[in-house]
Amino acid sequence: MVRFKIRRYDGKKSYWQSFEVPARRGMTVLEALYYIKENYDSSLAFRASCRMGICGSCAMKINDKPRLACETQVLTLGNTVKVEPLDNFKVIKDLITEFDGFFEKHKAVKPYLIRKDDNYAEPKELLQSPEELNEYYVFTLCIKCGACYSVCPAAATLDECLGPAAMTAAYRFCADSRDEGQKERYEIASSSNGVWRCHLAMECSEVCPKNVEPAKAVQLLRRKTAFSILKSLLRW
Amino acid sequence: MESTKSVMEPVAWIFQMLTGLVMILLVTLHFYVTHMTSHEALKYAEVASRVAQPEFKALYAALLLVVSFHAFNGLRAILLDTTAGMRKKGAVSALTMLAFLLAFIYGLYLLFSI
Amino acid sequence: MGVSGWFRFKGRSLFSWAFTFQRLTGVVLLIYLLAHLTYLSTLLDKTGATYESMIAITVSRQFLVFDILLVLCGVFHGVNGFRIILHEFGIAYEYRKPLLAIFTVIAVVVWLYASYIMYSLTGG
Ligand code: HEM
Ligand code: HEM
Ligand code: SF4
Ligand code: FES
Repeated sequence: MVRFKIRRYDGKKSYWQSFEVPARRGMTVLEALYYIKENYDSSLAFRASCRMGICGSCAMKINDKPRLACETQVLTLGNTVKVEPLDNFKVIKDLITEFDGFFEKHKAVKPYLIRKDDNYAEPKELLQSPEELNEYYVFTLCIKCGACYSVCPAAATLDECLGPAAMTAAYRFCADSRDEGQKERYEIASSSNGVWRCHLAMECSEVCPKNVEPAKAVQLLRRKTAFSILKSLLRW
Repeated sequence: MESTKSVMEPVAWIFQMLTGLVMILLVTLHFYVTHMTSHEALKYAEVASRVAQPEFKALYAALLLVVSFHAFNGLRAILLDTTAGMRKKGAVSALTMLAFLLAFIYGLYLLFSI
Repeated sequence: MGVSGWFRFKGRSLFSWAFTFQRLTGVVLLIYLLAHLTYLSTLLDKTGATYESMIAITVSRQFLVFDILLVLCGVFHGVNGFRIILHEFGIAYEYRKPLLAIFTVIAVVVWLYASYIMYSLTGG
């Protein structure tokens, strides 16, 4: 039996509740949460979908570290497992946090290829070499789970801060050889809520379940943004 | 407003880094001069004779410029990291840069009247 | 949430500690800079008497502990700041973990050395 201590919130008050779960080898925290929901308390709320670390729905704080519940095995965690919602997000109910703002920030950086020759009637194949793919490949692996955002010290105190995931997405497209939208994105990234709010605490890279290295992406984006603005200043 | 914002931030960022690099040298030198050259280095006569030399004057003026900018721009970055500070972004930038100038000018005044 | 968000260490790595110390020591040094300019105003007294009476306090044994803490702030901020600058310009990002360890050791060594010098100055 493993003891689950869960941080619950019902819209008004926040409290801890404990459950005993018979843990099997290979059982994930997500399975344990389903076990609790089915056998003890059907009102327990959490978010999950794919159960295989690909949708990014189930990030939560497990024994103080943000992780994917579906990719964390119970028996690696000891006899007590503490489960809490992510930091830096508003809690809606129990383990479910408000992600609207997070996704808005993601949309704000225009996370899609921008081309001058967009023509949907006559689509054209865009070629890319493996070297060009490698420039940004690791940054495409982000599943928007919010783990990085939950440990970012700038996001902790500034609601409008873009945060690591959105800036990583911005860099991912800027570094894509097929993209022609760098200028637009540098402008968005260079707003006061953007790259300048990063102080390279680098905790985001520590917690990312996909090893995306968001801190590296933000640093690269900031350098490119800074030099592109300085260059345009000097010419003008 | 849009354009002043996007010019201020990258310039401030790059100067924060460059002043940091310069200070590694200057602060080490300052500490060396005041603590390791002789036991008398902090006596009034010694200080006065050092500051009278143009080389030292220039050195201190540089240190003063670099450190005041770095410190108050650092404070600006800290304040802008908060929702409250960001709401008054313009005032935060203006006041911290004003404080930087005041510290620099007062230090220069000291440097040239000792 | 308030600035307590800059002081959350449970479950965090050493990187979060380094960030928080960089910030705290930066603020301490800012306050020290203001104090420094204030007490250097004593140099305006051309007889040197005001300055000498002030400096006598700051190099005294009782003051040593503050001096040593101040130097800790300066050394940590400078050494850790150098690490950040390296990464900011794209240097050694892949080695960020060993670099954090190495730079922390460097900071402690430099601090102990500087403390020893200040100790022998007041020991006089
Ligand atoms: C000795 C050489 C120094 C180096 C290499 C250095 C380096 C740095 C760097 C890289 C940052 C940016 C950190 C970030 O983005 O969060 C920083 C921030 C800061 N520095 Fe320095 N610094 C030095 C000396 C000083 C001194 C002497 C002062 C004060 C008089 C000072 C005050 C500050 C402040 C207030 C900040 C803002 C802290 C923050 O944003 O968290 N620094 N320093
Ligand atoms: C405990 C260590 C320190 C002592 C005893 C000390 C002492 C002094 C003294 C005696 C002077 C007058 C010039 C001279 O004697 O050559 C001076 C000037 C100066 N110091 Fe320091 N200092 C210390 C640390 C620092 C630090 C950490 C900084 C950086 C923030 C700094 C920044 C300056 C500046 C900018 C000046 C020139 C001020 C002016 O000309 O108006 N000092 N210091
Ligand atoms: S960068 Fe990593 S931690 Fe951040 S949202 Fe993407 S997958 Fe999650
Ligand atoms: S449920 Fe999809 S990532 Fe965990």
